Amino acid sequence: MKRNRVLGGVGKGVAYLVMGLFTLMTIYPIVWLVINSFKSTAEYQIDKISLPKEWIFSNYTGAWSLGTFDQLIGNSILYTALASAGSILLAVLAAFAFAKLKHKATGPIYGSFVLGILLSITSLMVPLFLQVSQMDKVIGDILQAFGWMKSEDFHLFYNTRFGMILIYIGAGLPMAVYLCTEYVKSIPDSLVEAARIDGAGYFQIFWRIILPMSTPIATTVAVLTVPNVWNEFALINIIISSMDQKSLPLGILRFSSALSSDYGKQFAALVIGLAPMLIFYIAFRKQITKGVSGGAVKG
Amino acid sequence: MVAPLRNKVETSRAYWTFVIPAFFLYLLVFAFPIVLSVILSVSNYNGGKLFGGDAWTIVGFQQYEKLINDPNFWMALKNNVYIVLISVFGQIPLGFVLAYLIYRKIVKWGEGWQAILYVPAIISVIVLGMMWKLVFAPNGVLADVMNGMYAETFLTSLKHIVQSAGGLTHVTDDFVKQLMNISNAASLQSFAHPVSDLKDLIVGGGYTDQNLPVFLSDMKNLLAPTWSPDFLNQQDVSMVPIMFVTLWCWTGMYLILFHANMQKIDDQIIEAARIDGASELQVMWNVIVPNLSGVIANAAILCIAGSLNTFALIWAMTEGGPMHITQVLAIYMYQNAFVGHPNFPLANAISLAIVLFSFLLIGVTLYIEKKFGGKQA
Repeated sequence: MKRNRVLGGVGKGVAYLVMGLFTLMTIYPIVWLVINSFKSTAEYQIDKISLPKEWIFSNYTGAWSLGTFDQLIGNSILYTALASAGSILLAVLAAFAFAKLKHKATGPIYGSFVLGILLSITSLMVPLFLQVSQMDKVIGDILQAFGWMKSEDFHLFYNTRFGMILIYIGAGLPMAVYLCTEYVKSIPDSLVEAARIDGAGYFQIFWRIILPMSTPIATTVAVLTVPNVWNEFALINIIISSMDQKSLPLGILRFSSALSSDYGKQFAALVIGLAPMLIFYIAFRKQITKGVSGGAVKG
Repeated sequence: MVAPLRNKVETSRAYWTFVIPAFFLYLLVFAFPIVLSVILSVSNYNGGKLFGGDAWTIVGFQQYEKLINDPNFWMALKNNVYIVLISVFGQIPLGFVLAYLIYRKIVKWGEGWQAILYVPAIISVIVLGMMWKLVFAPNGVLADVMNGMYAETFLTSLKHIVQSAGGLTHVTDDFVKQLMNISNAASLQSFAHPVSDLKDLIVGGGYTDQNLPVFLSDMKNLLAPTWSPDFLNQQDVSMVPIMFVTLWCWTGMYLILFHANMQKIDDQIIEAARIDGASELQVMWNVIVPNLSGVIANAAILCIAGSLNTFALIWAMTEGGPMHITQVLAIYMYQNAFVGHPNFPLANAISLAIVLFSFLLIGVTLYIEKKFGGKQA
């Protein structure tokens, strides 16, 4: 058997070289980022590569207060948690209907969700922005016509956390509905039928059987949705205009324009920006890898 | 089991109760905006209220005509095609080869490599874009490193020149000319008569063989060539760093995708091929690729859909500049809708164009897979 001799020594050497090079290229810039976050701006301008002569932590405190990161991280957690939970709940609900309740509407509706996987909200950001702001205007006009509101400036969707979360839930749904439906199909019909014969309503079946049994796929959807929402930029950039409702990436970007010459704080802000998802990745690497293996992420 | 009528009504009611919340949000976020963009792209609507505001009407396809005649559109499209190409023909093959190295245990610690290579894919592209901007910027790390290398080369050559001239005691015209040859052309322009001026400078500067290091360092500061990242202001070339970062970001994701699916392939096929004398390369090309053609096509489809919508990474790196040369379709759309005088009909036409391009390229991918793809794993 030449089982042990998969490749010759040279081939193996090249393979390690390629692998090592790519891994180094991936990890080194991030390490470089962390190292520089402990340098003063003056030191960075002189020496961009070596370790800091003096480790400075004030970059972090400075960046934290300048970027109002406690508020932005709070917002990001809110957006991410509610959007992920919402997507999962609505997706499993719909999946239950598509997979277990026979209905002639399933074909076209489920089909449209699957087609939606190929659409991106980024390409639709302009019409979506118009739609959201016009919906507010229409509702505002109606409220005014009835005399329930004096000012014209009414916002339910545009520049509100509520509107942003609804959009994020909707954006995550096609993939979530697809994954959940394929999963719920694998739950035996007999479970649902037995519960029906015992007189359980569909809501009971959903809460007691389908939802608990969908935990694995809910986990997969969650670990894929969380980074998507946390990192989303294009939409929140145009839908949310007031600073106190923005998310972390928008706050980080401010260090690139107006504050760009303060390198120390910029590096600290970047590290603050990458830390949450890095921790999330380290904590849930197994589940994330499994989710990505299904081919469910847009690159 | 005969379903009583009450049962059927209840099932139908439950069905719609379960489907409607998700379907409504889906329509709200995807379907209505598409309909809206179709209507607005052929209208003369330009801001204000859609209902009950200034009147607007359907005026026809003039925005599409404008689009076709706008050189910025073609530039954005071309840049976007670069991103699609580096994604489909860069990320996917590279991810595939790396996955193969791990799958065949050609390299050890597969899990470790895989874990690290995926890291960029999960971090905000805003953070990563800003990070790479600090690398590629005119005063960034890359410039520093290159300038350092230029200075090193300059010093080495200068030492040679000094050595062959036998020290600094007799500065000849020839010496100065040799110095000029290795110098930065731009720095020399500040001298009216470079040869005599430089000679005066060196002789008058009091440089001797004893303080040679001072001479070297002064000459380096004054004359060493500097690396200029001007090429990043050139059309097409300016996309190279962005393409590099795109490749850097997402390759790990395809590595994971392909590696997971390779593990579903029956080992015995590969062993049989190996015993028949096939090389690793042949096994990869003739056994693994055909087995995974469906997965590769899926990857390509998601890759196309994703890269046609690329926005945040480029926004963080260049904002589409300088002078629009790194614009892609999504940024071009953003600029037309939200910067300067908004042109909403045009922006909506671009939005539709992106959707149509996605479906066109995805259709082509499906066609290729159907025609040339191997059997499913």
